[in-house]
Amino acid sequence: MKLPILTIIMTTIFTGTMLTMISSHWLLIWIGLEINMLSIIPILTKNQKPRSTEAATKYFLTQATASMLLMFTIVFNAMHSGQWTTTNIDPNNMIVSLTMIIALTMKLGMTPFHFWVPEVTQGVSLMTGMLLLTWQKLAPISIMMQMFTSINPIILLLIALMSVLVGGWGGLNQTQLRKILAYSSIAHMGWMMAILTFCPSLTMLNLLIYLMLTIIMFTMLNMNTNMTTLTLSNLWNKSPTITMMILISLLSLGGLPPLTGFLPKWIIIQELTKNNNIAMATVMAIMALLNLYFYMRLIYSTSLTLFPTPNNIKMKWQFQPKKRSLFLSPLIILSTLTLPLSPVLSTLN
Amino acid sequence: MLKIIIPTIMLFPVIWYSNSTMIWINMTSYSLMINLMTLPLLNQAGNNSNNFSLTFFSDSLSSPLLMLTVWLLPLMIMASQHHLMKESMTRKKLYLSMLISLQMFLIMTFSATELILFYILFEATLIPTLIIITRWGNQTERLNAGLYFLFYTLIGSLPLLVALIYVQISLGSLNYLVMNIWFQDMSSPWSSNLLWLACIMAFMVKMPLYGLHLWLPKAHVEAPIAGSMVLAAVLLKLGGYGMLRLTIILNPMTKIMAYPFIMLCLWGMIMTSSICLRQTDLKSLIAYSSVSHMALVIVAILMQTPWSFMGATALMIAHGLTSSMLFCLANSNYERIHSRTMLLARGLQAFLPLMATWWLLASLTNLALPPFINLIGELFVIMASFSWSSVTIAMTGLNMLITALYSLYMLTMTQRGKFTYHIHNIKPSYTRENTLMSMHMLPLIMLTFNPKIIMGLTY
Repeated sequence: MKLPILTIIMTTIFTGTMLTMISSHWLLIWIGLEINMLSIIPILTKNQKPRSTEAATKYFLTQATASMLLMFTIVFNAMHSGQWTTTNIDPNNMIVSLTMIIALTMKLGMTPFHFWVPEVTQGVSLMTGMLLLTWQKLAPISIMMQMFTSINPIILLLIALMSVLVGGWGGLNQTQLRKILAYSSIAHMGWMMAILTFCPSLTMLNLLIYLMLTIIMFTMLNMNTNMTTLTLSNLWNKSPTITMMILISLLSLGGLPPLTGFLPKWIIIQELTKNNNIAMATVMAIMALLNLYFYMRLIYSTSLTLFPTPNNIKMKWQFQPKKRSLFLSPLIILSTLTLPLSPVLSTLN
Repeated sequence: MLKIIIPTIMLFPVIWYSNSTMIWINMTSYSLMINLMTLPLLNQAGNNSNNFSLTFFSDSLSSPLLMLTVWLLPLMIMASQHHLMKESMTRKKLYLSMLISLQMFLIMTFSATELILFYILFEATLIPTLIIITRWGNQTERLNAGLYFLFYTLIGSLPLLVALIYVQISLGSLNYLVMNIWFQDMSSPWSSNLLWLACIMAFMVKMPLYGLHLWLPKAHVEAPIAGSMVLAAVLLKLGGYGMLRLTIILNPMTKIMAYPFIMLCLWGMIMTSSICLRQTDLKSLIAYSSVSHMALVIVAILMQTPWSFMGATALMIAHGLTSSMLFCLANSNYERIHSRTMLLARGLQAFLPLMATWWLLASLTNLALPPFINLIGELFVIMASFSWSSVTIAMTGLNMLITALYSLYMLTMTQRGKFTYHIHNIKPSYTRENTLMSMHMLPLIMLTFNPKIIMGLTY
């Protein structure tokens, strides 16, 4: 895509999300979401393949449905409460609270509206998939964090629990890396939304760490354009350090101590236990192990089953590295080694 | 405690900056120096006053285990020298880095005061061990072994995290020093049963308990020698150590809840010892014997009498040294004939008489011969269990008999009898191997003269 066009489209995507995040009037929020959705469609179809067109169509249909539901909720709320601010949604109004949650979780790709996430992520290129799974989550989550006091906690907890389950079980049979990362996104969204009604700053913490880890994973996969587990097993030929980084990043994404990915899970379990949701905390923690299982499969095929000596049969021709990987090292360090910095959290409000 | 932790962390630059001729010398000598610095920890006053800071402390329970951990590091390094000979320099350094990071986590685990810090480090020990087993193991089954190891331990320990957080919220603090004063009895509704189970199951999987022991033979057999040593000697004891630390908050439920576990342990002891009699794989035999010995430790900890705690601690230390020595001996066999099958190398006493001495001593300590500390541990546990219920003597006595049977079976199978005809290139024992065995045996012999230091909290 020509650079000026790409710049305009990226700026529009940015503007859409920013508009959503800074507004307090529901109409402007909705407009921001729409600008965002419409401007990402050309990015999805950049590839000019039928698969990408299919992915873009699925994305457009689900997001448009969600936007329509959101519009319905906004107008309904305005009709019943007479105002358009986000902070004053009436939680006793069953229709408003239910359809609001449905619309926003559909935008985020949480169960039971998760079916588009793996297919859309698979149909587009790696970097576009990264944009989809990271930037596109910001706007709906910012809306949910603004209105978290009005959300029905039971429905949200149910959706979160189901997302963790589906994210774990769905990823088990996958070999395509983009689908694996899509199911990982579903599961992490579940963790984030579980704590929203109790303590939204933890949603922010989990989101930040998840964003860092997803950006790292996609960047490292993009270095060699690995899209399947099979091609990933050749990575040790090209760059053994990246295989080690994939090991550490995947273990952090799976939530193993002493890596940073453990921090959001630990604090979320703590907040859920403080609010007497012990069963939910235990079930979510055990279901996160399913996620860890398919990360372990990836780790096995990249770094833990290497040949004892280098062989020359599977070598790829070594060109000059063309793909830039900005900020990879600081991001890796931030997202795997900062668990000892967890007391910093007590300074946040 | 930093005087031990910081030198251990500094072993990382020692590894990466040593050249190829000096790396083994550097590593072994510096880890032996760290040993020397850890020895004063064993001088424990009886009033629990060895608190270094709010984060680290050491008392009569953790200092023998800490000593065992630091003692094992030079032994692991010495044992790994042969099978790492053919690897490239970077891979050798990576292997040693995994060992050092495991060591660092273990030292911090045994000296942590805050139980959540203990939990994080307890889980952190899984990652280097997993990498050692899966990356440097020798057979294809090592992949399965790594997965079983990781997931058995994690499924048990995630409820422990939730339980610890719940206890922290209800008690106010999980700092061990504070908990000794602030503990309350667990109330009796049925949810406390679940809380008790959540606290205990992680350590039961780690010990391992008989029904949950499936990961242990896989992991021990597939791991390289340093992995087997550290698994058998230290990582299993993490479970016992955790249970001993948590007994304060688990009262008075343990009197009722412990019954199924004690029964599983008593039956499991006999079952795993009997399996040892039918094993063809040498490392598998030693792995199952570990399950059997640890079952005694679980019985002791669940019985909660002063003598049983003394016996548990003594048995943990003794079993650590013995089991590690047996794995080193099995590895010396493996390096010569490249097979773990016992049948393939028999009558080794004719070829390697000094190694036969070490085999004899290891088997004798394994079957708890007086006056070694193995016997002291087992005797205290058996006496405590007899006083708890007279029927248990049948099981524990039978177990001692079967332990003697399989230890002697292992000894006679490998050492005595006519040698096999097809073995004709057994290299003589290296000095390194003899040093390794003597360094395992000497602490065992010397502790016989003063077992007070390994008797733990209730001496």
